Amino acid sequence: MTAHAMAHGAAGGEHAQGAVGVHTQKLGMWVFLVSEVMFFTALIGSYIILRWGTNAEWPEPRTVLAIPVTALNTFILICSSVSMVKAYAAAVRDDQAGLKRWLLLTVLGGATFVSVQAFEYHHLIEKGFLPSSGLFGATFYTMTGFHGFHVTCGVLSMIWVTIRAFRGKYAGGRFQGIETIGLYWHFVDLVWIILFTIVYLI
Amino acid sequence: MDAAEHKAPNYIAVWVGLAVLTVVEVAVVYLHLPRRLMVVALVFLALWKAMLVALYFMHLRFEPKRLLYVVLAPLPLAVILVVGVMHGFRGP
Amino acid sequence: MTAAGTALPGHTHVDDRSLIRKYVFSTDHKIIGIQFLFLSLFFLLVGGLLAMGIRWQLGFPGQAMPLGGWLPEGVAPGGVVSPKTYIGLVTMHGTFMIFFAVMPLLVGVFANYLIPLKIGAPDMAFPRLNMWSFWLMIPSGLLMLASLFVLGGMSVAGWTVYAPLSNSPDYTGVHLGQQLWCLSIVIFGASSLLGSVNYITTVINLRAPGMTWFRLPLSVWALFITAVLAILAVPVLAGAVIMLFFDQTIGTHFYLPAAGGQPLMWQHLFWFFGHPEVYILILPAMGIASDVIANGARKPIFGYTSMVWAMIGIAFLGFIVWGHHMFQSGMNPTLASAFMVSTIVIAVPSAIKVFNWLGTMWRGSIHFTTPMLNAIAFVSMFIIGGLSGIFMASTPVDMYIHGTYFIVAHIHYVLFGGSLFAIYAGIYFWFPKMFGKQLDERLGKVHFALTFVFYNLTFFPMHILGLGGEMRRIYDPTVYDYLRPMQPINVFITVSAFLLFASQLLMAWNIVRTLVRGKKAEINPWHDCGLEWTVPSPPPHGNFETTPTVYHGPYEFSVPGAAQDYIPVNQPLPAVPEGRR
Repeated sequence: MTAHAMAHGAAGGEHAQGAVGVHTQKLGMWVFLVSEVMFFTALIGSYIILRWGTNAEWPEPRTVLAIPVTALNTFILICSSVSMVKAYAAAVRDDQAGLKRWLLLTVLGGATFVSVQAFEYHHLIEKGFLPSSGLFGATFYTMTGFHGFHVTCGVLSMIWVTIRAFRGKYAGGRFQGIETIGLYWHFVDLVWIILFTIVYLI
Repeated sequence: MDAAEHKAPNYIAVWVGLAVLTVVEVAVVYLHLPRRLMVVALVFLALWKAMLVALYFMHLRFEPKRLLYVVLAPLPLAVILVVGVMHGFRGP
Repeated sequence: MTAAGTALPGHTHVDDRSLIRKYVFSTDHKIIGIQFLFLSLFFLLVGGLLAMGIRWQLGFPGQAMPLGGWLPEGVAPGGVVSPKTYIGLVTMHGTFMIFFAVMPLLVGVFANYLIPLKIGAPDMAFPRLNMWSFWLMIPSGLLMLASLFVLGGMSVAGWTVYAPLSNSPDYTGVHLGQQLWCLSIVIFGASSLLGSVNYITTVINLRAPGMTWFRLPLSVWALFITAVLAILAVPVLAGAVIMLFFDQTIGTHFYLPAAGGQPLMWQHLFWFFGHPEVYILILPAMGIASDVIANGARKPIFGYTSMVWAMIGIAFLGFIVWGHHMFQSGMNPTLASAFMVSTIVIAVPSAIKVFNWLGTMWRGSIHFTTPMLNAIAFVSMFIIGGLSGIFMASTPVDMYIHGTYFIVAHIHYVLFGGSLFAIYAGIYFWFPKMFGKQLDERLGKVHFALTFVFYNLTFFPMHILGLGGEMRRIYDPTVYDYLRPMQPINVFITVSAFLLFASQLLMAWNIVRTLVRGKKAEINPWHDCGLEWTVPSPPPHGNFETTPTVYHGPYEFSVPGAAQDYIPVNQPLPAVPEGRR
């Protein structure tokens, strides 16, 4: 393990007795993601409760939302998860050119997703579908809005990571940061997989 | 580190799997199945996709068991919250 | 890449950072802990002042408050707080005390200060994130303070901000005040989560060699479990508050019945957070009490392992009892029964802990120092608070006492009698380590004695008021015929409360005087076993010259055959018969 990795608090990480056995930055990210699961549980749980726990009126989502476009957008986000995984694999084998290429593609994928979402929002608002449009509007915009906010933060972080990659900060075996941000990125994808199904399709 | 200790999964295969599952999901919607069956199918498909991302992209299949326990911790609570409150609204 | 001044593990560091980086925007967990200390003591004062306003009105309804003439006419006509202002005082007292005083005092101070030192680490796992955790409290606190002064007034929906009162500005007249409350709490949530990620990761990964899980001091166990509770519960609050905020601002109707929303859903979401929250407020106090009591009795903690499992049990059960706050909401009776059972069950691990504290003191060589006195008071007051809790756990009983002063008595017995006495124990105990000077013992004992007496005189009679039917949050008990005979009790409580508040100034004075001209403390004034007492006071940046090795559990007091009546954890045990750990 390099001195640099030790300086990142990895010392005592895998070696601490009874530790979880992963390096500190990764463990910290997973703990954070656990809290994010609970956050989305509050939002998605409220949606489930309001839609199926009460007698509220609820339009068929496909009559309001654009399923084909969103399905394509879902695919784009999944692709960006693949490029993220490829970026990490490149970093592990110290393929800096590959790392940079795949990171740029990930940024592109994420940015495209957010743009399409924004375009969809604009379209829906013009149609008159607003957060105040009943419980469907309220839950739809809150859930997808916060998801979009998380993707945006992810894209900004990814841009920063890409800049650092171009500066060689992840060369020579220092690939832990790529894994850490990758976890956040996949998580955001995972939440969308759930959202797409229960908000748009069901 | 851990990455070197096992063979890297075939990410392209996972990607194809996710793409196929997404197509199947959208198809299910337009198949006009009975409502309950459609919901079960869609939830099942979504969970399958989520599992693929979690196990392979997020590497959980190859992580120490203890990390899995950390990650799984919120899930029972999420279920308790939603089921408990639904119970409160709908009754037993 | 390490930030300048961040130590590598096992090395103390010559600290050549600027004054700003060293004391203001510091990433050193000890400085951050001290920053939390002063911030939360300030908010404890704010919460206390708000309480004085509440007590004045309850004791002397309709009479002009001292300094009341300074308040604007709309808020307090003729120096008498209006009903709306009164309920605002009640709301903000609870809000400031829970979120900005007790939580930061227990978690922000002691988790930050103690965890790395007690586990043998140079700092937290993520020092910069830790700095953010503190500095986010500043905008959060400022927004909450600002909400006191905005047009339309502060939030008037209680610290639990129930909908639809909290999202009906047309009814309450409160617009910005409630919105600022929501924004402040969301930022607070972010601060809390950043801190918790740090505490959890640090305890899991950064323990020194030999510091196994079951050699951790109970204060560290408690803070770790508390952080897990926070990670799982605070995000739910954030989600709920965000939806409330949207109801107030962008026209959603999550909790507004007119458009199909569900006010009851607010209650469920809030209390799903709210119940683990109260365990967040008590577990660190229990951990501190354990450390201080073992030290003060010169005996190992009785039943260390069961103490750990009891805390884990309390944390786990704490997630399935939330409905007991809602027994009167018209909730499903089957669900209510389930909550009743789980709530009664949660008394068991709490009782185990109480008996273990008593077992620790039994036949110990008790030193009645200020920290020890406060810790013993914690145990006895917690018992009373716990006993009143059992009444509430029973749904049919709660039908009568919910929303009365019986509940107010309970919460103050566990929060003040419990948490605050433990906080005081912690402050008196670790002050010498933090500042290199020891608080005056005599002044400390006088502070304790006055606080203990006036505290009980203030809050015990509330049990009687509650059983007599006095409701919470009411403006003027004397308008009710059946409450008027109990008014002398309210006056008695008010006077006691004023004296209680005044007594706290003794501790403030003690702190100021000691900081300015206190005498230097020895390195281990309480003869304790913890790792923090093996380093100078205050510890240098990076804490330990070399990474310590831990040889045994944290409470090796009065070991037969040992040279002293305590053995620090970084010293091996003397040769003793087999069976001792």
